[in-house]
Amino acid sequence: MAAAVRIRIQEADFDLAAEHAWLAASGAGAVVTFTGLVREFDRDLEGRVEGLFLQHYPGMTERLLGEVVEEACRRWPLCAVVVIHRVGRLAPGERIVLVGVAAHHRAPAFAAAALLMDYLKTRATFWKRTDTDRGSRWLDLHDEDRRAAARWEEPW
Amino acid sequence: MIRVLFFGRLSDRAGIEPWRLPAEGIATVADLIARVAARDPALGRELAAPEVLVAVNQRVVSRSAKVAAGDEVAFLPPVTGG
Repeated sequence: MAAAVRIRIQEADFDLAAEHAWLAASGAGAVVTFTGLVREFDRDLEGRVEGLFLQHYPGMTERLLGEVVEEACRRWPLCAVVVIHRVGRLAPGERIVLVGVAAHHRAPAFAAAALLMDYLKTRATFWKRTDTDRGSRWLDLHDEDRRAAARWEEPW
Repeated sequence: MIRVLFFGRLSDRAGIEPWRLPAEGIATVADLIARVAARDPALGRELAAPEVLVAVNQRVVSRSAKVAAGDEVAFLPPVTGG
């Protein structure tokens, strides 16, 4: 049976409990969620983060996220998937992204959530700028993020 | 007209408002980059960087891809979501 899918890009915060309840209502035996947060300190600028600015390409981002979710659904039997990504200006400690997966067993739920985050970071058209007390910069994709995404290309 | 969008660090230079360029004399993405470079050489150099992807009508294409009036062309630096 096809998984229930919810993909949203929004400025507003999201309600973790409500999203978890929606995932759990799919009849799954396991729910895994990941939440990404705005850091307090920028390692590269060595500055205290005052805010994060998130930009995306409307239309293309939704399609790419849909393709990433389809890829997860091809690999594992999933009951429900939620991806919510915020855009605009965010303060330190605020939630940026939610990936949630419901499946009958924990192994596919954990694996699908990891793939979704790795592919989201390397494929979806979002750009982040960090504003710190020591200046602003557009972030670069880290090699560890590229490696994390590449591991899903190998047979496993 | 061709609608041209710039994202991430490119938007610092080009602005967040889309550019509208006349399509005359532009047949490919490479032609469009040359047109942008004529107007803003530093931006043109940034667009030439291989890590900057190009999308025509929201599909990633090569720099030899065709561009015509009415198309939307977007320049995409490496993405950093999540």
